[in-house]
Amino acid sequence: MTVVEQTGAPKTTPRARRRPSPLGSKWTPYLFLAPAALFIFVFQAVPLVQEVYLSFTRTRLLNPTKSEWVGLDNFNRIFGDPEFRHTLLITVVYVITCVVVAIGAGLGVALLLNRKFRGRGVARALVTVPWAAPGIAVALIATWMLNAQYGIVNRFLDAVGLGVPGGAILDSSRYALPAVLATTIWQLFPFTSVVLLSALQSVPQDLNEAATVDGAGRWATFRAVTWQVIKPTVGLLALLMTIWSLRRFELIWLMTKGGPVGATETLVIDLYSQAFDSKELGSAAAIGMVGVVISLIVIIGSRLVARAVEKEHAR
Amino acid sequence: MRRFRFGVTARIVAVLVVLGVAVFPLYWMFVTALSSNSDLFADRPRLTPDLGQFGVFVDALAEGKAAGWLLNSLIIAVGTMVVSVGLGIPLGYALSRFSFGGKAVLTVVLLFTQMLPEALMVVPLFALFRRFELLDSLTGLILVNSAFVLPIVALILKGAIDGIPKELEEAARADGARPFTTLTRINVPLIAPSIAATAVIAFFHAWNEYVFAVTFIFNPDLQPASVGIANFIGELGTPIQTVMAVAFLFTLPAVAFYLLVQKYVVSGMTAGAVKG
Repeated sequence: MTVVEQTGAPKTTPRARRRPSPLGSKWTPYLFLAPAALFIFVFQAVPLVQEVYLSFTRTRLLNPTKSEWVGLDNFNRIFGDPEFRHTLLITVVYVITCVVVAIGAGLGVALLLNRKFRGRGVARALVTVPWAAPGIAVALIATWMLNAQYGIVNRFLDAVGLGVPGGAILDSSRYALPAVLATTIWQLFPFTSVVLLSALQSVPQDLNEAATVDGAGRWATFRAVTWQVIKPTVGLLALLMTIWSLRRFELIWLMTKGGPVGATETLVIDLYSQAFDSKELGSAAAIGMVGVVISLIVIIGSRLVARAVEKEHAR
Repeated sequence: MRRFRFGVTARIVAVLVVLGVAVFPLYWMFVTALSSNSDLFADRPRLTPDLGQFGVFVDALAEGKAAGWLLNSLIIAVGTMVVSVGLGIPLGYALSRFSFGGKAVLTVVLLFTQMLPEALMVVPLFALFRRFELLDSLTGLILVNSAFVLPIVALILKGAIDGIPKELEEAARADGARPFTTLTRINVPLIAPSIAATAVIAFFHAWNEYVFAVTFIFNPDLQPASVGIANFIGELGTPIQTVMAVAFLFTLPAVAFYLLVQKYVVSGMTAGAVKG
């Protein structure tokens, strides 16, 4: 019973439970959650608080114990920096494209796989492969496929006459972001499509048929029936995609390190290079806080929208 | 009727295109691993694997450090799986079956952790690890990976326990069973598929993890495969076939296991996110 030992405080509990009330003592739930809560406290809450503190200080990586309180200086500096504004712009473009295209593609694939056909089970399984693949391996194979000299993508593009001059897609400030986006979305669309596919299961078929019999076109039927059913799922996916895309690191870092000249530099990439290349822990933390605040706004905003929609329906 | 036929053909083509897009990169990893040098750098690359080159997988494991990397990844992943599922079951149970002060806060915290990037937490965690002498140790990585995957594990398991009728437990309680006993004897067997799914999620969270591993491990003998493979990117010394062979061996178990428990993973992840 390590569960009991680790909590410390409610020592009376084992005895109190000997004559259990229907749900045990009021301390029982705390016994169950204490070890996990302790873990999350030590490895998530404490570091987060430290990071918030760091964002108000000037701290160097080489001398991290010596922090100098500078108030809002880090925030003033980054917001006054045109490069940071560019980072914000790239982040917004990256996140919105991921959300829209991953959900759009996922919906298309889900509708395609929702029909009955032979081999559908196999097709559904194969489609999830990109999502199951480790990000590291995806970054590796993507860089190899995009290799300027021997990459299959360039060979293909050359063959159809669309080749990028020199072929160095990931070194081009014009094509690097689309390439990173394509790789990200390749990894995300299986998730959105599988989730949407399960949402489509609850679309009443007779309603679809009734609408078709009534002479409604495909698009009208989709909007009137299918879309109404999957709308909450789409909302949830948009939220998940936003949060995941705001925190995505290794895929971008390993493909481009945020380059060339910041073309793929999102907030998280900027934060990491501030901390480990520029060795400025304070500014890095401030950049991170901007990301956290954006996520929070998105989460709270989506909750408010969801609540408003629910009220609308209840009326 | 003719239009209908056309629709069917178009749909089959569309499905095949989607599957091709989904599978091609990993197929290409496999093909590249099994290419001879002359195929690799020829004007027209070979599009099918040269099975005569299969020895590359054996060589990749026998020579170099790949086998050691994969073993380190395995240790980290198993450790993370055990710790996070071991702690996630009681936490999910508490969240599902009890009402207690601070429950709403705890749920919000669990969801909140989902938006914290590892790259943000890596600096303060580095300081923490140095103080507790967890740098350069697989145990340290197990602990931090467990903490990061624990919230999603707990939320999925909470959802699963929510789905079990309370009456089963109440009957056992009436017979004098303690909460811990009802959890292990009644709930755990009933949510076994969800536990398997969370085990897979936790295992591969740690198997794939890169940021902490690359920052907290200096000893090359303790490097996991994620770091070893990432170091291949942009490095020219290792033959590309070996690189792809190692990456393929690293990818295959993740894909295989995810396919096995896919159904539970997806429903669990969305349920965890919706109900929170």
